[in-house]
Amino acid sequence: MATPKTQITDSPAEYSDTKRAPLGRVRSTGTPFTRTIGIATIVSMATLAVFGLVLSPADVRQGDSVRILYIHVGTVWIAYVAFTVTAVSSAAYLWKRTRSLTWDRFAGASAEIGVLFMALTLFAGSLWGRLSWGKFWVWDARVTSTAFMFITYIGYLAVRGLGGSHQQRAKRSAVVALLAVLQIPLVHFSVKLWRGLHQDSSVADRTHVTLQGLMLFSLFVSLIAFSLLYLWLLIHRQRVLAMQDALDDKGLDYALQQRRDEGDL
Amino acid sequence: MEDIGFILAVYIATFGSVTALALFILRRGRRLAAQLPDEDKPWI
Repeated sequence: MATPKTQITDSPAEYSDTKRAPLGRVRSTGTPFTRTIGIATIVSMATLAVFGLVLSPADVRQGDSVRILYIHVGTVWIAYVAFTVTAVSSAAYLWKRTRSLTWDRFAGASAEIGVLFMALTLFAGSLWGRLSWGKFWVWDARVTSTAFMFITYIGYLAVRGLGGSHQQRAKRSAVVALLAVLQIPLVHFSVKLWRGLHQDSSVADRTHVTLQGLMLFSLFVSLIAFSLLYLWLLIHRQRVLAMQDALDDKGLDYALQQRRDEGDL
Repeated sequence: MEDIGFILAVYIATFGSVTALALFILRRGRRLAAQLPDEDKPWI
């Protein structure tokens, strides 16, 4: 990942040779690479919808409600990945040799995406639970610990929103991220640690794969589609946060320069 | 298809919310990019 450019032309005088210099020519966060990922994401998400809703067969025991699995497992997979990326990026920020606000922005962007996907996991799980268990909510170990993790990461985002410099934000949120990520193994293994209603993994245990054929393929499509989507969202959101930070630092200078340029015209 | 309402609700909520987030990020990115010089866009 690229380190942020730190050489900043924050003096309005430096723009005096070019009219309206503060306004760059590049007006988006897209690059050929992200556009390629974007197209691949759209194609794979459409494929997921077709396989998940049409081509994949109904389950012998669960019937058509098994179609929710392709969303439920895909979203929770991304939530786990997102929170792990948040923790790794936070560690990279705290480590002096790799300290850069780019890592902090990756951490923040990834956590935001993770929170959305965790909310979708809970929503899909709740509806699937109503069909399977007869209730939208049960105080099962997996369900409860997942909800607790969701709330924890909302707290993480709240900590990021507290005042102070970008460095202060990065440091305090990195500490919270490194503590919060400890919940992932607890949530994942809660099914084994405390027996409850929630079923065990369908694929992760290679000795006992319960999905086969088109159902397994649909789940595979789901994981690919959501992974591409996550990558696209992460890159774009990180770039937005980088510009937001730059604007926080130098926004007044740029605004003054623009007004001066307008006066010169 | 059984339970079509529940299944569609999950798919619509998921596809709808990720599309909304993607559009929000793109629009916010465009708005900020218009206010900043290119040297503040490290991906260029």
